[in-house]
Amino acid sequence: MDAVLLLIGVISFVVGLRVFLTKNRVQRLLYLCCLNFAISALIALYIKSPMGGVVAAAYFIGSTLSSNAIAHTIGKVQRLEGRGEW
Amino acid sequence: MEVSWVELIKLLISTGVCWTNFVLIDTYFGLPRKPGVLGAEVIGKTLEKMGGDLNGGYFMGNIVCSPDASAGTLMAAIFYYLLGFKGGLIATLLVYIGNRLCNDPGYAGTFGTFSATVIIHLLSGFIEPRYFIGGMIMAIFTIQGLYHVGASKVLGYIGRKLGMI
Repeated sequence: MDAVLLLIGVISFVVGLRVFLTKNRVQRLLYLCCLNFAISALIALYIKSPMGGVVAAAYFIGSTLSSNAIAHTIGKVQRLEGRGEW
Repeated sequence: MEVSWVELIKLLISTGVCWTNFVLIDTYFGLPRKPGVLGAEVIGKTLEKMGGDLNGGYFMGNIVCSPDASAGTLMAAIFYYLLGFKGGLIATLLVYIGNRLCNDPGYAGTFGTFSATVIIHLLSGFIEPRYFIGGMIMAIFTIQGLYHVGASKVLGYIGRKLGMI
């Protein structure tokens, strides 16, 4: 356990808590983005081999793709409902 | 468990380097100017309604929805830590593929990854690559995890200062 791991652990804990506490769906997506960064960094730091890098990259690109899809869907739904409130 | 001052100073320096690298490159490639995808537009408009800055919100939305220079800096740090300079080049290729998968026409991610690799390589004598991983998480936390309205204002201000909006 060193400073880098401790810092990333504390940050992911704080952000993970805020994901549950916030009510706004869009803000939750922003916190999740930060959490994804932290998790892929932890994967790479724990699995200290080239395979760890591949796993971290795969997780990261996959999570970005799903965030993209969720945000896109929120936008589409709001357009369909035609309401100004987000 | 003890945390030395040297480690903390290295972490702070790498945070500053990562923050500057990805904010400048993303701003230069026009992330705050327009939302690249529909999802980013939603995030920008939501933050504007909450009292933030529209262009800063677009910036944050683009970070969420597509691998840009912030994702690139993290990938470069991870792959440099595991594989050295070659790893940084592999990370550049991966981010390029990720950009195409997310229907993002820009090259901010690809360029940001490459520049981060070069910067980490130049600084590797003083700061080990693992500190850049921590520094990048710290940098993204200040933008996406701390206070969204304030962060969007700062990003919008920087975009206007650089004349990119």
